[in-house]
Amino acid sequence: MLSKLRTLCLKGIDGREVLAEVYIAPGLPAYTVVGLPDAAVKEAKDRVVAAVRNSGYDFPSKRITVNLAPAEIRKAGTHFDLPIALGVLAAGGGFGKKPPAALGDTFFIGELALDGALRPVAGVLPMLLALKGSGARAVVPAGNEAEAAVSGVPCLAATSLKEAADWLAGKAELKPCEGAAQAAAGPLAAHDLCDVKGQAFAKRALEIAAAGFHNLIMVGPPGAGKSMLARRFSTLLPRMTFDESLETTKLYSVSGLVRAGRLVHERPFREPHHTISDAALIGGGSTPRPGEVSLAHNGVLFLDEFPEFSRPAIEALREPLEAWRVTVSRVKESVCYPARFMLLAAMNPCPCGYLGHPSRECSCTPVQVHRYRAKISGPILDRIDLHVQLSAVKYADWEALPKGERSSDVAGRVAAAMELQRRRFGSGARANAFMSGAELRKHCALPGGASAVLETAMNKLGFSARSLDKILKISRTIADLEGSEAIKREHVTEAVQYRMLDKAAELPAVI
Amino acid sequence: MGEGTAAEKLARVRLNFFACYRCDWLLRLLDLYGGAAPLLKRPPREIAAEGGVMLETAQRLAAQTTACDPEKELLAAQKAGIKVLTALDEGYPELLKKIYDPPMVLYVRGELSPRPAAGIVGTRKATPYGLRTAARLAAELAGAGVAVASGLARGIDTAAHKAAVEAGGVTWAALGTGLNMTYPEENARLADRIVEAGGALVSEFPLDSGPLPQNFPRRNRIISGLSLATVVVEGGFESGAMITGRFALDQGREVLAVPGPVDSPVSKGPNFFIKNGAYPAENGADIVACFPPEYLFGLKACGTGGVKSPAEAVLRGLSPDGLAAFKAIAANEGGLSADEVTVALGWPVQRAAAALFELEASAAVMSRGGRYCPAV
Repeated sequence: MLSKLRTLCLKGIDGREVLAEVYIAPGLPAYTVVGLPDAAVKEAKDRVVAAVRNSGYDFPSKRITVNLAPAEIRKAGTHFDLPIALGVLAAGGGFGKKPPAALGDTFFIGELALDGALRPVAGVLPMLLALKGSGARAVVPAGNEAEAAVSGVPCLAATSLKEAADWLAGKAELKPCEGAAQAAAGPLAAHDLCDVKGQAFAKRALEIAAAGFHNLIMVGPPGAGKSMLARRFSTLLPRMTFDESLETTKLYSVSGLVRAGRLVHERPFREPHHTISDAALIGGGSTPRPGEVSLAHNGVLFLDEFPEFSRPAIEALREPLEAWRVTVSRVKESVCYPARFMLLAAMNPCPCGYLGHPSRECSCTPVQVHRYRAKISGPILDRIDLHVQLSAVKYADWEALPKGERSSDVAGRVAAAMELQRRRFGSGARANAFMSGAELRKHCALPGGASAVLETAMNKLGFSARSLDKILKISRTIADLEGSEAIKREHVTEAVQYRMLDKAAELPAVI
Repeated sequence: MGEGTAAEKLARVRLNFFACYRCDWLLRLLDLYGGAAPLLKRPPREIAAEGGVMLETAQRLAAQTTACDPEKELLAAQKAGIKVLTALDEGYPELLKKIYDPPMVLYVRGELSPRPAAGIVGTRKATPYGLRTAARLAAELAGAGVAVASGLARGIDTAAHKAAVEAGGVTWAALGTGLNMTYPEENARLADRIVEAGGALVSEFPLDSGPLPQNFPRRNRIISGLSLATVVVEGGFESGAMITGRFALDQGREVLAVPGPVDSPVSKGPNFFIKNGAYPAENGADIVACFPPEYLFGLKACGTGGVKSPAEAVLRGLSPDGLAAFKAIAANEGGLSADEVTVALGWPVQRAAAALFELEASAAVMSRGGRYCPAV
């Protein structure tokens, strides 16, 4: 006999409908899965056999063929267990001669334990979102209940194969999924910018970075507070909108990282170690999975010890920084993951870390310093608008320093500056950091006093023409933060401070 | 130049491919055989016997001098506008001839015009104090018409060359590489400016020699050899500046030193010289005062620091904010970072940034590794 059940699979972060067909034919006992299954899908066989028997049903000793259609899409994951098991029951006549009416409009997702219980699986949210608006419903493991509820697709939660089978047979009811309300109001962030004492310039640079979507690199000795500042960066950004939250959660769901089935409602902060491979950073694997850049989608990617990252990993950042997405192409398939993140990088001023330290002597030769800094290639440095120097804070100073501004105050200014940019560039997620040459000339006209600053910067401090463009963009954001239409002289002189790696005098750093 | 001398010059250029990395014993052989040409004609076995060198060395000498192509070298030099001087040529500096082991061949880019010179040498890891002192001394000497000799290295050397060029004076750089390259690379533009300003780059190494570590101590004897007096600005006990100072003493030239803080590791060298009788150099006039009197004709009066120091003029031009920031920076040994300026003065970021920009643009401060230090 033949049965057909509907289920879903993932391609990238999008769900696709899949039909699980089960055919039981007379013959020697055998079990075959066709339709490009991966190893986990093939293993479903053993779980299904055990689960069916341990749930009190007979597993037919016949020739069983399972086909996952369309056959040309690769199927990965363990969530085909439930549809296959129910398909075997249906094809074996467990629900009577006529298939139950519910089979037509219900999708089944779930991994089976050997005792017949249902286990939660990864990727439920993106799979279900493919059903949104189609009027279909789905049966999901109870462990995925909250995630399913967020999707807006009517879902039923089952705890075991037996429950699902009883529901199909019309013998019992399943509990509808209910979860967190749509507006995902999570608890306030545990960090606040006012925790960091001193470092006025670095804090200000974070503010500018947040307001104009400028990427930022912090240069400073160990213990200056680079990581501490980076962790507080997302508190300066506006709360995630529901759509942003959904997008990010999809990526987390695909990676199996959704905690307690909840929507990701805080901006992600990803901090990969510098030994990370390029594939892990931007996404990859024979069955592609999102990398750190995608897990930082709508949030912050913090790369500490930036020059220590492998060259391929650093260079691989070029595409996502430009296009806000990564395309992972493998022989078997090619998928596209969104990756719109702020890059925060941190590095020491020199290999030993103490160049320019007020009390400790740097033990590096100028050549070593040069080589260390040259590890960050021009094209990458080119995508980082803000450079800020942090210095070690002396204890005596640190004691006396007043607490700084609260994150919420800064976030207010940031939001206002973002609003100004929205009006300037119209719809779309545009920001000052992405101004083209023409837009730069249009929006960054300088009054006389301010353009003299640029000239001095070029002639006296050795800035290149390229860095002048960056200074203009930063000046625009500084003016926006003040709500000023015109760029003033003091905006430009401040912007110059955030391009320290460009200063001709800084590179052959000798002291 | 007669045919004989032309052949002798070619032979010396050939011999120099070996000699520039070795030492003085070759000059002794030159005397023994009456020139490079006869020397190169002798078989190694006889050179070993007559000249008192090991047979192995004599064989290596023969092998290496046969392998090179001095004609091509001379042609390449001519194309690049580089003069190749031997002690037989006019224009080979007289003072350099007088040292114990003068370079067999001197490659010169630019003009090595005869004039009294003073060497200004120091460490690559200089402090702001060393850098600004080197610059001031160089500017004062250059202004008086004295050539400033140094080594085009980072730090003190660069500061001295730059200041001399900017003062419109003549400066000579003795390199540890062949003249076809500049080391360190970032000084390529400075090297061009030195030549344009009427100075010269000199080297005893064949045009394509790379920056071998052993070349640099050797070229130091050229710096001191070109100079009547050598000033050690900053450097530890083991530094190249100490080597140059000792060369100058061996060559019978004056050594001066810039006194520095007793606890500064890079002032150990100069302070050691002073303890042993070197003149402390406070200004250009101190250095010129050490020249033998016959060299003083034609020199202009030398600046004596303070009086003609640019510091006052620079500070007078500053805005009140700029001056306040400068005072805060100058009051702190080791300078201040931008953040510390905001703390010291209680200013918001924007105000501090504007003041720092003004100070940097007017060259009142310099920033190194993110710290601002007084530059005047």
